[in-house]
Order: sequence, then structure tokens, then C-alpha cells
Amino acid sequence: MRAPMKQAVAVHELGSNVAQRDRWSLGRKALRRRIVDYLATGASIAAAGVLLLVLASILWSLLSRGLAGVSWATLTRPMGPPGSGGGLANAIIGSILQTGLALLMAAPVGLMCGIYLSEYGRKGNYFASTVRFVADVLMSAPSILIGLFIYQLLVAPFGHFSGFSGAVALAVLALPVIVRTTEDMLRLVPTAMRESGAALGAARWRVTLFLCLRSARKGVMTGVLLALARMGGETAPLLFTSLGNQIMSLNMNKPMASLPIAIYQYAGASYDDWVQLAWTGALLVTFGVLLINITVRLASRR
Amino acid sequence: MTSPLLSSSELRSGESMHDVALAVRDLNFYYGDHHALHDITLDFPARCVTAMIGPSGCGKSTLLRVFNKIYDLYPGQRATGEVMFDGRNILESSTNLDMLRSRIGMVFQKPTPFPMSIYDNIAFGVKLHEKLSRTEMDERVQDVLTRVALWNEVRDRLSAPAAGLSGGQQQRLCIARSIATRPEVLLLDEPTSALDPISTARIEELLDELKEEFTIAIVTHNMQQAARCADRVAFFYLGGLVEVDTADRIFTNPRQKQTQDYITGRFG
Repeated sequence: MRAPMKQAVAVHELGSNVAQRDRWSLGRKALRRRIVDYLATGASIAAAGVLLLVLASILWSLLSRGLAGVSWATLTRPMGPPGSGGGLANAIIGSILQTGLALLMAAPVGLMCGIYLSEYGRKGNYFASTVRFVADVLMSAPSILIGLFIYQLLVAPFGHFSGFSGAVALAVLALPVIVRTTEDMLRLVPTAMRESGAALGAARWRVTLFLCLRSARKGVMTGVLLALARMGGETAPLLFTSLGNQIMSLNMNKPMASLPIAIYQYAGASYDDWVQLAWTGALLVTFGVLLINITVRLASRR
Repeated sequence: MTSPLLSSSELRSGESMHDVALAVRDLNFYYGDHHALHDITLDFPARCVTAMIGPSGCGKSTLLRVFNKIYDLYPGQRATGEVMFDGRNILESSTNLDMLRSRIGMVFQKPTPFPMSIYDNIAFGVKLHEKLSRTEMDERVQDVLTRVALWNEVRDRLSAPAAGLSGGQQQRLCIARSIATRPEVLLLDEPTSALDPISTARIEELLDELKEEFTIAIVTHNMQQAARCADRVAFFYLGGLVEVDTADRIFTNPRQKQTQDYITGRFG
């Protein structure tokens, strides 16, 4: 009841010679702003939709074509000649062995290097800034180059391809990811945490391991898992190193099969059953990586 | 200028109450090329609260950080002169920092709970210096938490993460953590500036009890806090010590005009 009264008083006070307009109605400028706002919002949503559509269509074609091939036989039988009822077991196991070994090599080195950069290699340390730069370069290096490099280092001198050299190539790929995320996450730990630890009389290594690394553990774990996901889908570094193998082999010193290479070999084949296996392999790799990413999300949320 | 040293009458007045815990002589401090503290000479009487006040950048926090040599973490920061503690000049490079820091504890401006349980926050520091049985450790944890008036609030969730406590509780936990290593001196760097008035009042009450046992040096921007808690107040300006006296004297009848201007809010 009181508000309209007040408004009336205000209008009266402004004087009768000032042109009165309803200040609640939208002016031309405001209308324009609102339209631009709707357009921009709409465009952003459409762009986000495109991204989602790409992922959805990949997943859809993988599911519709690959799911048919997911069977006990595919998962347990090794690859074989066309028409022989071969599966992907050796490729699955090869992938797990090579990425697992690569992670065992890359994670400790990467963690320690990240700790060094964050805790000891701050401003003005030329060695540290060089290492940081090299890690950044390595992160964006084409993975096929890393494969060729390891070929020169571990394949050519020994005269044969090996699962081990494949794992090393993957480790080189994962290393910079782990180094940089570890460093970034440790840098988020406030200086006050380090000082509080030191102020209690804790040695520096103890502060670093039990306070800083522990505070940053979720972010650090995320980095390691992302590196794992990246390795799981790589083909190029393996082409020149572990080569691929048709038979089941657990020998890291011999050529070794892996899912990405199996997809590479089978996808272009003219045999229907091989093409089917390629789709199934692609489905397995993609959902494996997706699973790791979802795990990362859940882990970092808690 | 009044003598920053305790006069013989002050020394006598409270019997053993007034031994000198920390004696600072001609202390100069440098951040690289920046000369931050100039020829500071000052005594910190044992089992008293000494407050350090002054405008931002006057060097009061810097002085506090000299006493446990926390500045040693950063290359380029150095101190010259003497800080006598228990018969030794702690500035000498032979001083064992871990030992020193177990005897001179520090609480920071922002509460910094460690990423572990409430119990382990306390045990962390104790384990560095003593080997206690599980029961002894339990007793120690209960003892210090009781003294900071936190025991009743956390007794049922000692194994819960310390990060879940409120800001005021976290700061009391940090104080408990510092006194758990049984230090002789407690350094407090604006311990209540991030806290609400109720938490601040609790910590001020706590200081009153803690000074029975510890020598306390507190940096504060809050003049009322200095007046309420401190026995002695030292006023710093531009890296120098302007005046030190009893809290009563500083706040009612300071000798220096600069002090007068600062406490009445005319600058700083």
C-alpha cells in the first residue's frame, strides 16, 4: 500500500515540466542488450552441444558396432588369422603390461622431479627452469618422434622389437604430464603450511612428504591417472618399439601386442571378422580411458 | 629514549618472574639488499606477554621470525647481531634449527591445520622430538587440547580431519600443536587477525593462562588486544624500535611522540 504512495510523491516532486516515462518499461538500448545476451548465450550453448555431440557420436558408433564383438571368446582368445575365431586377449594383456610397466617407471621419476621443481627449484634456479622448459617441450612433442627416439635407443642396437621398449616410450610420454601436475599441485600448498611444519622443528624432507605432498595428494593422483589414460590410447610410440604380436606373449623382451596397435592393424583389413575386432578393441580402449577419467573426477571430488 | 633493557628495579620487582628469556642485542636484518631491522636491542622477560606493535612494514613480524630462525628457509635473508637464548647466541650458524624450534614455537596469522586428523596434528610435532608410548601421547594430546579449551569440542572426533574445524578452533589447534612440544617461548604472529571477535576473545584469555608457563611474544595490529593481553609493549617504526615499556605506560603516557601519534591513530 505504501510504495505507490511514495512513487506518486516522487513524481510530483520532480516537477510537471519534466517529461514523464514509465521507468519500468524497457528502452531501446536495454532491449538490444537483452537480445544480444540471448544470442550469445544461445551460441555458447550450441558450441557446447557440438562438443557433446562429437563425443556422443563416437561413443554411439563404438557401442553400436563394437558391442557385438564383446564376448568371452574375444576377451580370452589371442589374435589369429582371419576366420579362425581369434580374439584380443594378447592385445589386452599387452596393453596392461606395457602401460603398467611404463607407469612404474614414469611415476616415481615424475613425482620426484615435480617435488624438486616445486620445493627446491624456485625462482632464479637455472637448472630447474631448464628442466621445467624441457618438460613443457616434451609434453607437446609428437608421440611418433618419441617412438622413433626409443627405436634408435632400445630397438636398433638390440636388433629386435620388444614390449620393454614400448613401455619406455610410453613412460617418456607420461613423464612430463606427471612432472608438471605434481609441481603445479605442490605449488598450490600455501607457504604457511611449510613454515608451520618447519616451526615445529620438522626437517624439510618431512615437511615435503608428510605435509605438502599429503595436502596435494588428490591433485597429484589425478595427474598420474591422466598420464595413465593418455598412455592407454597411444599407438604411435608403440609402432616402432613393441611392434605388435599375433600370439600371446608375456615376454617383455619380445614384440608385444597392444590394443591400439591391434586396432591399427585390423581396422583397414578386408576381412570382416578383423574389422569387427578393431571396433571391439576401440570400444575397450575408449571405455577404459573413460573409466580412468571418471575415476579421476570422483577421486578429486572427495 | 627509555632503555629497552629491563631496569634492575623491574628485574627485582617480580623475583624470578622476570628473568630474561630472549635478549636481543644490536640486531640487524636484511632481505637481500633491503635493510629491514636496524640495531634492535630489546629484552623479552620470561613468563610475560610482550606485544610488538607498529604500522605494516615496520619490522615487527620480521623480528618475530628471527627468534625461531624461520627466515633461514629463504636464501638471501640474514640477520646479524645477537639473540641470546638459554646462554647461546641463536644466530650462530652452529645452532641446531630443529632443536631451537622445538624450544621456541610459532603460531601464524592464518590457521594452518595439517592434512591429517586432529590427534595427528598434535602428535606430529611431538613425535619429532620425543618417543612416547600410545598412552603418554594420548595424555599429551588431551592435556594440550584442554589447555587451549578445545578438548570438550573435539574429544569425540579426534580422528576426524582437522580441516573440518572452524577457523577459531583451527587456530586453537595450532596453538595446542605448538605447546605440545613443550617450548619455552611462544611466538604469535597476528594470531587473531583472521578470526571473529568471539574466537579472538577466547585466544586472548588463553594467552593469559599460557603466560604462567611460557614466554610469549605477540605481533598484533590491534591496539586493544595489546592493551588487554600484554605486560610489555614494544613500538616499532620503519625497522627501528621506538619505545618499549609496560603496557600501561605505553597506552597512557608514552615517552615518544611517534608512539603517541600511532596509538591515538594519527598515522599508521
